[in-house]
Amino acid sequence: MNIQNFPVLAVMLLFLSAFLVEIFGSKIAAIRNFITIVAVTVSAALIFALIPAVLIKGEVISYWMGNWEPVAGYAIGIGYEVDALSLFFALLVVCTFWLSAVYSISYMKDDHHLGHYYTLFLMLSGSVLGLVLTGDIFNMFVMIEIMTFASVALTAFRNGTEGALEGAFKYLVIGSIGSSLNLAGIALLYAECHTLNMAQLSAILSGGLSPTTVMAFALIVAGFGVKSYMVPFHTPAADSYAVAPTAASMVFSGMVNKAGVYGMIRMVYIVFRAMDASALQMLLVIFGTLTMFVGVTMALAQHEFKRLLAYHSISQIGYVIMAVGLGSTLGLTGGLFHAMNHTLFKGLLFLTAGAVLKQAGTTNLDALGGLSKRMPRTTLYFLAGAAAISGIPPFNGFASKWIIYQAAYTKAVESGNFLYVIVTVAGLIVSVMTLASFIKVTQAVFFGQLREEHAHVQEPPFLMRLPMFLMALLCSAAGLFYPLVNRYLLHPAVDATVNVTNYIDKMMGDGYAAAAGVTNIPVQEVQFSFWDPLLWLVLFVVVFVAAAVVIMAGKGSRGRVLEEGAVADPKYATFFSGEQELYSQVGGSDLFWGFKKNWKAYYRVMDKLHSGIVTDYTNMAVIAVGVIVIVMFIFLI
Amino acid sequence: MFRKLMSKSAMKSPWLYHINSGSCNGCDIELVACLTPRYDAERFGFKLAGTPRHADIVVVSGPITSQSKDRLVRTLAQVPEPKCVVSIGSCPRSGNVFKGSYSIEGPLEKYVHVDVSVAGCTPKPEAIMEGLYQAAQILKKKREVMGK
Amino acid sequence: MPETAQYILWTAFYILIFPGALFTSVVGLFLAGVDRKVIAHMQRRIGPPIRQPMYDFFKLLGKETIIPHAANKFVFLAAPVIGFVSLAIIMLFIPIFGFTAVSGSADLIVILYLITIGGVALIVGGSASGSPYAGIGVSREMVTMMSYELPFVLVLLAVARKVGGSTLVFSMEQISQWQVENGHMLFQWSMIPAAIAFLLIIPAEVGMQPFDVAEAETEICEGPLIEYSGAPLAVFKLNTAMKMIIMTGLFTSLFLGQFRTGYYWADALLFVAICTVLTILCMTTVHAVTARLKIEHLFKFYWTIVTGLALSSLILVWLGL
Repeated sequence: MNIQNFPVLAVMLLFLSAFLVEIFGSKIAAIRNFITIVAVTVSAALIFALIPAVLIKGEVISYWMGNWEPVAGYAIGIGYEVDALSLFFALLVVCTFWLSAVYSISYMKDDHHLGHYYTLFLMLSGSVLGLVLTGDIFNMFVMIEIMTFASVALTAFRNGTEGALEGAFKYLVIGSIGSSLNLAGIALLYAECHTLNMAQLSAILSGGLSPTTVMAFALIVAGFGVKSYMVPFHTPAADSYAVAPTAASMVFSGMVNKAGVYGMIRMVYIVFRAMDASALQMLLVIFGTLTMFVGVTMALAQHEFKRLLAYHSISQIGYVIMAVGLGSTLGLTGGLFHAMNHTLFKGLLFLTAGAVLKQAGTTNLDALGGLSKRMPRTTLYFLAGAAAISGIPPFNGFASKWIIYQAAYTKAVESGNFLYVIVTVAGLIVSVMTLASFIKVTQAVFFGQLREEHAHVQEPPFLMRLPMFLMALLCSAAGLFYPLVNRYLLHPAVDATVNVTNYIDKMMGDGYAAAAGVTNIPVQEVQFSFWDPLLWLVLFVVVFVAAAVVIMAGKGSRGRVLEEGAVADPKYATFFSGEQELYSQVGGSDLFWGFKKNWKAYYRVMDKLHSGIVTDYTNMAVIAVGVIVIVMFIFLI
Repeated sequence: MFRKLMSKSAMKSPWLYHINSGSCNGCDIELVACLTPRYDAERFGFKLAGTPRHADIVVVSGPITSQSKDRLVRTLAQVPEPKCVVSIGSCPRSGNVFKGSYSIEGPLEKYVHVDVSVAGCTPKPEAIMEGLYQAAQILKKKREVMGK
Repeated sequence: MPETAQYILWTAFYILIFPGALFTSVVGLFLAGVDRKVIAHMQRRIGPPIRQPMYDFFKLLGKETIIPHAANKFVFLAAPVIGFVSLAIIMLFIPIFGFTAVSGSADLIVILYLITIGGVALIVGGSASGSPYAGIGVSREMVTMMSYELPFVLVLLAVARKVGGSTLVFSMEQISQWQVENGHMLFQWSMIPAAIAFLLIIPAEVGMQPFDVAEAETEICEGPLIEYSGAPLAVFKLNTAMKMIIMTGLFTSLFLGQFRTGYYWADALLFVAICTVLTILCMTTVHAVTARLKIEHLFKFYWTIVTGLALSSLILVWLGL
């Protein structure tokens, strides 16, 4: 087996099995599941097999479709090219769809027309994988199209539920805007540079940008902004994530919007090589900060579990775009790390939301409560995910946010620009607000009092618990061992992003990059000073000692820590000022009014902006595209 | 040694939870008077707790009206061991002037073992302090028994 | 591997005894005792002995632990321990004048997040108890946290900028070292608003009146702590006491870091003395003369007045003053 073929095989296998599932598996569940699981597993294995070569040895894998290699210095065929950046995102993608496929087997069991579901699922997986692995910008556009339409169909998959068609329609409209912007940009680029190969584009464009390419650049940045749900384009995300089957929501937030982020990084850092321009940095940082702020404040106002998670997806992507936009290697490291962490913890949180939806039948925060009694494991997984997304040490969210703050404040100090101080502060405050909204979910769904109708809710089946467990494990592992993550994943990816000679030479032949004047710059090492395995070891000992003291003290005096008592025994009843225990749940809507009251004016504006009317959303998107184009025209030419 | 420390602490830091079971407020005011600068019960470590879960000494005043009986019993059950029950005034002891009323379900002894009973209508703050202090001693003994 | 063994032993010593768990708890309980004693004197009472919080702690250890049936047992019991551990760890990052146990390049952010864990432990524990009173307490605690976090972040960034100049400094040790060379941070006039803001943050962080809306015992029955009894409650009370030394200690390190006696024990004593003074100044006095705020007023207070103070400091520092 030639390792150069692996990326293409991985993508093709998924597309092929998408059709096989429909042909052979539309009636029989066993065949359907078998094909899906085999396809995603083999595809994931093929991607994992690239790790030694790409991430450790630093090679670039390339494959010319139909063996159409460059002729006379022009790349005319479609080339697949996998550098560390591509592989980094590809790993996120394969992890996401593998776990989601496993989860789907149990989760989707009761739905109809599952053949369609798996077809769409595999199409989506294949397209996102193809998008991150391809080296051809038009191929990228094709993958975006497949991705968008598969996502739209998946959003509408449960078309009997309220809002499914509406969500799909919004997704379709806004998503098409994004695709068209990309297509227009690519067309301009092709007209100007006569090639579609990203390596060659990079070499050609390193000479400077002409007005045409700036226009193309602006359109493409806006296009990928739509795909990653940057703020004025974020509106369909909430609707579609909330109504799609949860396994699909997880895929959307885990890899579909990562595809947008990947495209953004690929374009601004590699193809256009324009991240030195401070105007572009500011543009991305401002959009990123807006995204994270609007996302989190909207999340605080939600009453629906999955919708709340959707707004958090938007908010966390804001962190990534902000960090990437800083233009420093530290920022890039933080951004990539946060993208990875977001895939892990948001996937985990969506899966727990799916477990709640499946077992309790609703995700309305005002109609749930006390589920931790019935679903203790799910609760623990949820708490791990919530801690990770709120950046609580030692989970992974802390590590990446920590790097992002450092990067942002370093930028502030170096450039002397007060804007970046505001950005740092915004990042820290958004983190606290994220925590607040997850406290709300914890209180409204898992703790508090159990409703009567949920008295017999069960823990989800094993195949649903397994992906949650694995993701919780990955969340804590990535947080505890982040220097290793940095060394083997982030550093190669960052290196590949800023040093592209290898990427260009592999495709276009040795010396091509040097001839075009592309040079390498060294990557700054990230300092992880407080990480120390022994410190953590001792810390765990302390945890055990402290826990032992608490338990022993209770034990030594009482003989035992009391088990939960019978309901009849008033001793173990909740204290209601002496009244008999009655149902009284402090639910999602009731929390944080002290905060919301002070922010009334802000929420009034937000209410108006999120009108739910597609025309308004389209207007917002068009205005934002205009702003991006104008700003880039003024400052980049 | 650890146990001894805990027993000693049990005496030194009794937290009060006050239940008014239909009292005329006279005893309640006198209880609050104990915490004022003039009597300063805090110098013995007494402190009013907000919930029965934190309490060591439950202070009951009033003649136990039928409305308050269930609430009283429930709240008393929610206090963790070791605990003491102190009744203040004549009402929880005997029903006082309300004795024989259709709405009185006292005395307190019917529902719970009363460790210290402070008589008077109303008892003076000094008497209440004395009663509470005795309850603290009993608390220590209970804690010692519990430790074994 | 004798060096590794030695290293582990020293780390264990730092975490468990000084300046970690034991030191923080003992001094914290001492400060809580001082607080109660002084407030009693202010009200012309004799007041409890200074060791009263220790009595409270040991008494609570000896009490029965009741786990209500609506509670999630594991989270209910684990929350106070997690809070305790995170608070014990914070002290490692705060230099006690000449002495620093652990120093990194971004201590300030680590401290910020570890302090948050202390609050989160209270919130999650209260939430896990299943009581609606706790639910209200949780909501208020979270809003309190959001209120003081903004000025807190601004103060920390102002200090970092003042020390770092044109480089990035988030390291406590460097901040301490800078003060040895340039004098107390408090006496840099541009930092005075930040110092005042920090002093105003301390009572909210610790949960002292007038900012104890979350644990208002007279209206919502101690809020998140309502169902706690026995040992877990003892740990929570200890956590509150530890926050007193941590917050005052942080202030001491950030703003009064010039003192050096040359001896670690004398440094530690001086440190405790300054923390005591700060406790009396910014917690006891405020507590004695104010009544509890409403939660929306608390939020407004922190996001306007205190944030304004901190921000003015940051801008002054940014302008190079």
